[in-house]
Amino acid sequence: MPELRTRRMPVLVQDCGIRRDDGLILTAAVQVPWEHLLDGPTGHRVQLVDYDATTDTMYRAARMPDGDVPEPTDNDQILTDPAFHARNVYALVMRTLARFEYALGRRVSWYFRGHQLKVVPHAFEQMNAFYSREAEALVFGYYRRDGEPAFMCLSHDIVVHETAHALLDGLRSRFMAPSSADQAAFHEGFADIVALLSVLSLPDVLRLLVSRDQEQDGTIPREAVSVQSLKDSVLFGLADEMDSESGAARVNALRRSVLLEPDPGILDRIEFGEPHRRGEVLVAATMRAFLDAWIHRIEAPEATRTERVEVRRVVDEGTDVASTLLTMAIRALDYTPPIHLEFGDFLSAMLTADSEVRADDTRYGLRSGLLERFADYGIAPASGTEDGSWKPSDHPLASEGVRFGSLQTDAVEMFRLVWANPDKLSLTPTAYTRIASVRPCIRTSPDDGLPLRETVAECLQYVKLFAAELGAYGLEKPLGMPDDTEIPLEGGSTLILDDYGRLKYEVHNRLPDPERSRDVAKAQKRLEYLWEQGHFQKGASFAARLATMHRLRASEPSVSRAESW
Amino acid sequence: MSAAPGRARIRSYNVGFGDCFLLTFFYGEDETRNVLIDFGSTKTSSFGPAGGLLDIAEKIRDDSGGKLDVVVATHRHADHISGFGGEPGKVIAALEPEIVVQPWTEDPEIAPKARAPRPATGGRGAGGAPRAAAHLARLEDMHAIAAAVHAQMPRLEASTSVRKTVREQLAFLGETNIKNEPAVRNLMEMGKRPAVYASFGAELPLADLLPGVRVDVLGPPTLEQSDAIRTERHTDPDEFWHLAAATIAAGDAERPEPLFPDAAVDRDSIPQEARWVIPEIERLRSEELLSIVRMLDGVLNNTSLILLFEVGDTRLLFPGDAQIENWSYALFAAPNHAEIRERLATASFYKVGHHGSLNATPKTLWNAFERRAPAPEPGRLTTMVSTLAGKHGSVDRGTEVPRKTLLAELAAHSELHDTETLRSRRTFWNDALFDF
Repeated sequence: MPELRTRRMPVLVQDCGIRRDDGLILTAAVQVPWEHLLDGPTGHRVQLVDYDATTDTMYRAARMPDGDVPEPTDNDQILTDPAFHARNVYALVMRTLARFEYALGRRVSWYFRGHQLKVVPHAFEQMNAFYSREAEALVFGYYRRDGEPAFMCLSHDIVVHETAHALLDGLRSRFMAPSSADQAAFHEGFADIVALLSVLSLPDVLRLLVSRDQEQDGTIPREAVSVQSLKDSVLFGLADEMDSESGAARVNALRRSVLLEPDPGILDRIEFGEPHRRGEVLVAATMRAFLDAWIHRIEAPEATRTERVEVRRVVDEGTDVASTLLTMAIRALDYTPPIHLEFGDFLSAMLTADSEVRADDTRYGLRSGLLERFADYGIAPASGTEDGSWKPSDHPLASEGVRFGSLQTDAVEMFRLVWANPDKLSLTPTAYTRIASVRPCIRTSPDDGLPLRETVAECLQYVKLFAAELGAYGLEKPLGMPDDTEIPLEGGSTLILDDYGRLKYEVHNRLPDPERSRDVAKAQKRLEYLWEQGHFQKGASFAARLATMHRLRASEPSVSRAESW
Repeated sequence: MSAAPGRARIRSYNVGFGDCFLLTFFYGEDETRNVLIDFGSTKTSSFGPAGGLLDIAEKIRDDSGGKLDVVVATHRHADHISGFGGEPGKVIAALEPEIVVQPWTEDPEIAPKARAPRPATGGRGAGGAPRAAAHLARLEDMHAIAAAVHAQMPRLEASTSVRKTVREQLAFLGETNIKNEPAVRNLMEMGKRPAVYASFGAELPLADLLPGVRVDVLGPPTLEQSDAIRTERHTDPDEFWHLAAATIAAGDAERPEPLFPDAAVDRDSIPQEARWVIPEIERLRSEELLSIVRMLDGVLNNTSLILLFEVGDTRLLFPGDAQIENWSYALFAAPNHAEIRERLATASFYKVGHHGSLNATPKTLWNAFERRAPAPEPGRLTTMVSTLAGKHGSVDRGTEVPRKTLLAELAAHSELHDTETLRSRRTFWNDALFDF
């Protein structure tokens, strides 16, 4: 048998709420990288375990054909067959993983040592789905609405959202640590962005939402493709369709993100201190940039403008923009600091990562669009540069005794390079330092088709001090903090090296240095934030639990722990 | 009888994990007026009376001279009202309380008639009665969840993968949050005058029962008042709790029906490579349940009445189990919050909130108490805590009840009376006297 590259598998384009005119739940065939599969399905990155803890039942492992999987022909095949659910989740997880590997130009591993993420499609009868680092698993609950079960594993955006959490954790494990309000919000916001763009990059979804009620002979009126109309038809349209079936919280998140009116002061408002609300600001800015770029593609010079536009063109451009923006957002992760991420860092990372590979942005105008839309929500690029990109490094590193060949993969070699350059990098020479990861990557530029090779290394630094010693770092003790409170201070740099082992960028959030007021101000703000959140109290959980976060999103808002004992 | 009391006595009976306070006002030589604030327990102390809550009910009868004027049930948690049911409840009812005061959330007039059907906009609506009814329906959903968790305990206890602390907490919180029908009914019916359901700022009709005593209601706020704290309403908790109730209750049966019976695999044929994942899923499920139960426990605590009794310049504060969300309105958001804080600052007595848990004595409140003092002196702040260690929360997570850091602070800066220090089955109460 000739080697197969991909396997076509049906997935729900969103959830059971999105149906064709004849009532059939809308599915689409997506391409998933081909691999040898055991029943489950179990492949080289994912192990499906269909166990339900509420009813204490194990379901038969789903069989997989060697080739393509046929599309379902009626709703029963979707709703009443656990094997379909297992295959749906498998396909969506693998498709998301493939998107990450495509964008980053390398294999992407999970946070834990194993290679296979456990995925449990019907874990329990509860209204929650989450990524659990300890269990090395994605678990999806189900619940009953008026007696009918609703399955979270059948919601495209929920599955992709949870997968994005797992992948992000594998790439930047410190992003789950307590730091700033922005970092707490980033995991949620980023996972939402990946999920939404993943749904919107499916032509079937866009065709349904764009053409609804206004299509004639394959065209729609031009006024239906303004920012406002597309916002109504596509984004709100999607939220409305979702409402009937999936967890209300997720729907509200999309609706609320789109409803967020631009306000440069929004992040200072009290209610946007809550992680999930704050994450929606990131989603709002990104989705507006998406609409702008989409319109930019469809717009024609006035002279050649026709009254109606071809639906196929609108859909093609939309999926193209969604897909490009998704790649940008994922690629940005390599260009983020390893720790203490703020929204401005993510913006600079997106702009830099994109311009490295795609020098010419005239096709979409995405980079200028992102700058503008993020500014509308008070997010300025952390680089401080005009185009928002990180400043390239202008310090050649001393490289005596460093072997370039192994720099691409070997953390010890990378540490040797760091050790040889204490003054040239934004690191504190005395702090405990370790290389958390070294990752080689190859990306192909659409401009000239040539490969771009880079090595990305995460370098982390730690010191531990008592509150009374904060002054040495230019920091002040938060009001009411006892002198003997133990405080871990952390900082770090992401080093990006070129083909020759030369430093291209150092993206850092260094340990605060009293001589640098901007760093100190940021660190002071984080310290105050964590103190207010109760993170320095004994027993406070340092692992921000995603499960809790999702639940709070749906139920009661959390309150500050400053009043607690 | 004099126009104002000359002294007051507060007794805290050792109910174990629960609250039971008798506040007696003395008018001249013989005349007393008695206020019973809460009477419940979810776990008795080995130093409590041999006859449990019944002995305590009889002691209340004796200490009150056979007559209660006011009964206050701060909120509906079992550890605050269980004594109002059963035999002890009969003893209390026989003391013919004139009036029963409860939070507005207990008002049967706004209780929803039917549980299940609910308008789709429930909770998001324009305010007023439908919103209040939806809120009450939410409390009912929470009871249903607690009952379901309680029913599932045997299975959870049999599972080796469920952590011991999770199991114990689930059992304890599940039981505390089950609706106690007999106690609720007794409270509704035992007062001679119409029952009072109060919210922040309500004027209690107690002038003739407690002459010379001013009583302020500082919590719970109404939904409209809480909106002042929450600048934007962005979730639909009613829907969340409604679905959670339906969902968790479905697990009630000993072994609920599988979703797809035809696809179920015999226990013996579970693939070997999947077996080690199963305990992890069971563990995650139990932790999910616990977080939900913890959340609802907090919501019910926040329905607590917060009462401030005032005679002359002596102020006695009884906040039930109110947590910061309930306190927030009185301390930060109410139009007269500055004045309230001034009055609270001079309190002579503080009943420690929620058995000494970490988040029921707001630091803003505690730090403002002016009568705190490092050493005994006349007029030093008196505090009372009714609690039992090792039942609620965990030391490792810093959530133990009573919270050690709080207890240390109470002991260092106030005259602390702690039911845990009672070590005699014969003297099972703490006592404090206030002269006006």
